[in-house]
Amino acid sequence: MALIVTIAILVLLAAWIAGIYNRLVGLRNRFKNAFAQIDVQLKRRYDLIPNLVESVKGYMKFERETLEAVIEARNQARTAASRAAADPADGEAIQGLASAEAALSGSLGRLFALAESYPDLKANQNMLQLQEELTSTENKVAFARQAYNDAVMRYNTGREVFPAVLFAGMFGFAPARLLELESPAVERQAPQVSFT
Amino acid sequence: MDFFARQEEARQRSRRLVILFALAVAGVVASIYFAVRLLLVPSLGTAGAGLFHPPLFTVTATITLLVIGAGSLSKSAELARGGAVIARSLGGRPVQPNSSEPRERRLLNVVEEMALAAGIPVPGVYLLEDEPGINAFAAGLTPDDAVVAVTRGALDELSRDELQGVIGHEFSHILNGDMRLNVRLAGLLYGLLVIGLAGYWILRIFGGGRLPGSRRNQRGSVPLLLLFGVALYVIGYVGVFFGRLIQAAVSRQREYLADSSAVQFTRNPLGLAGALRKIGALAAGSRLRTAAAEEASHFFFADGLERKLFRFLSTHPPLARRIARLDPAGAADLAVAAAATVPDRFPPGAPAGVVGLAGAPAARSVPAAAGRLAAANLARSTALLAALPPALPAAAREPLAAQALVLGLLLDRRPEVRERQLAALSGSLPEAVRGELARLETPLATLPAHARLPLVSLALPALRRLSPAQYDQFSQLGERLIAADEQIDLFEYALQRLLARHLAPTFGKRPPAPAPPVALADTRSEIILLLSALAWCGGAAGAPAAFAAGAAELRFLREAALLSREACGLAAVDRALDRLAGLPPSARRTLLTAAAATIFADREITVAESELLRAIADALDCPLPPLAA
Repeated sequence: MALIVTIAILVLLAAWIAGIYNRLVGLRNRFKNAFAQIDVQLKRRYDLIPNLVESVKGYMKFERETLEAVIEARNQARTAASRAAADPADGEAIQGLASAEAALSGSLGRLFALAESYPDLKANQNMLQLQEELTSTENKVAFARQAYNDAVMRYNTGREVFPAVLFAGMFGFAPARLLELESPAVERQAPQVSFT
Repeated sequence: MDFFARQEEARQRSRRLVILFALAVAGVVASIYFAVRLLLVPSLGTAGAGLFHPPLFTVTATITLLVIGAGSLSKSAELARGGAVIARSLGGRPVQPNSSEPRERRLLNVVEEMALAAGIPVPGVYLLEDEPGINAFAAGLTPDDAVVAVTRGALDELSRDELQGVIGHEFSHILNGDMRLNVRLAGLLYGLLVIGLAGYWILRIFGGGRLPGSRRNQRGSVPLLLLFGVALYVIGYVGVFFGRLIQAAVSRQREYLADSSAVQFTRNPLGLAGALRKIGALAAGSRLRTAAAEEASHFFFADGLERKLFRFLSTHPPLARRIARLDPAGAADLAVAAAATVPDRFPPGAPAGVVGLAGAPAARSVPAAAGRLAAANLARSTALLAALPPALPAAAREPLAAQALVLGLLLDRRPEVRERQLAALSGSLPEAVRGELARLETPLATLPAHARLPLVSLALPALRRLSPAQYDQFSQLGERLIAADEQIDLFEYALQRLLARHLAPTFGKRPPAPAPPVALADTRSEIILLLSALAWCGGAAGAPAAFAAGAAELRFLREAALLSREACGLAAVDRALDRLAGLPPSARRTLLTAAAATIFADREITVAESELLRAIADALDCPLPPLAA
């Protein structure tokens, strides 16, 4: 009899631990999903940049280095993003994306600053539209990033609170990393530059 | 059979199942008692009490039931957390609502069109990336937390028509109430499985991996214990076997029903038949790789497991028979993709009632159209989507832009009110949302009023992607906008109810408690209020006649009089709806018929009428397709 009771207790205990495990999996899935939303927007941004470079090329003949730097930064950011998308729980990949994105924002900022001195370019309809779309996409990136960081915080808190913290390490729930763009100043700068 | 009858039938079926399962559980309890009696406490036998020993039986039965109950409950609780959990456990990944990958886009479009046509919130869409076979499933307890998932094979191999047939099949599972049935089945099965697992653990723990006989006989208890483990294992799995048998028999019936509903909806039996035929022709068929498929096989579009020997355990009818029902001429050869005549079992024309909705108004068709998949609705929702300024559906699919879209819909068209509303937001409106709001201003200005609510329901999947903090901010902004013009109009009311019902549960806000059951006759004053409000929505002149038309549908309303316009405030309507939500399905149909009769009394539907009707249908949990404007 005592044995059956023991078994019943063991079953309940297993159910309780399984509950904790499921909760952590749920939280982890949520931040991974949230990353997918960033990824969608980043991809759109990476698709826009070559168009942008293409349409300024004719005007900014003497700025080849700047344009190449933008393309280079864009390619690197794209690689970093696909690495991070493969596993958003990988803190290093997230860190890599953050610095690649910061570099891209920096080089885009320089491009827009230079474009200020080309009046024809500033009036180009195509350019204005691209600029507008890029700004909107950056807003969406920032918004999706906020949602992602919220989800990461909830996950990290969820794995640090009392009963969960006993099992989190055992089940392989490593702390996740926030996606913080390294120099917020640059991030804010890009949408600010305008052609009007 | 209409929506209400099918729901009722699903409920009855599920009651019958519970009885069958109770019998299976009783068998398991009795078997375990005998195992305990004979193997664990054989000494009692000499006491002369015979085989049946009441105290021992009570204890064993209690523990067994507790274990089965705990297993069932934990599994049901897990499944009840929504379709998303099930989809993920089967290896699904969510398809982003704003995906631009062409095949994913096509899938999302098919799902959106169908959800609008069926009048349910657009479900989440999942993709089983690692499955080359053609299969799909719908999961979730209610249309609110439903998800639709397809395999990579289905996405790549099927044409748009075929995909539409498959998705239509899954939608009819959602609308027929099959998912609740499935979840209950899965929960009960799991409870029985736990018994078998307990036996397995006993063997693992006490057998130590060695053969039972090889262990030294310690006071004779270990071999008997191991034997008991074997007995539990066998009993558990025999129980599961009978459970599966019941499950398979029910599931096969529901599959035929879903097939025929899907055809009614898409009006194209060849699409669905083509999909089934491709499954037959494809090497991977409909088989699934994931180990979790066994447990969830009854969720799927086609058999996820290969059962050559155990046909009677199949959760789905044989492919050939399903195709034969859809397309008799082409069924002979599974691989032949020949087009065939449309079988007359599925008349190509839409049911008369639905045509009535589009053309000459017919009140009786509204309850008939509720929760029904009808070709006319699909065509109408496709047309509705196509007529929208393209920026709007695109915005509805982006979390940030969807937020701005809903806020933009709440902005008044009168400039002075609009100014006041925007002033109320100033300071708390994030810069990014303001930017999106400005981009949407022009397309929103041309949006016809009847397209507003469908657009909101299109935005639900994207809004579900907000983080809880973002959602709080969004709902605060919305509330402030609604409050700023100092009166709540019908659209604002319907919108608030829609968001509260379909969005709040996603963000851990407690869904409103289910209404206590009431009988139709006890809700006389609420129904009078509702019909009066609907009558006033159609215009002051026709109100008395409209009310009379609605009241004529209900015998106990013979002497009822139209309430004054002032008495029909939205706060009163809201209270009435909360109470009416407790009505049983048959009474809901009666109520919906009366409401529709009120609306159609003057042979035209105003936007206000259709919005209030939508709020009513929503409160009563009746998915209602968009009415012709």
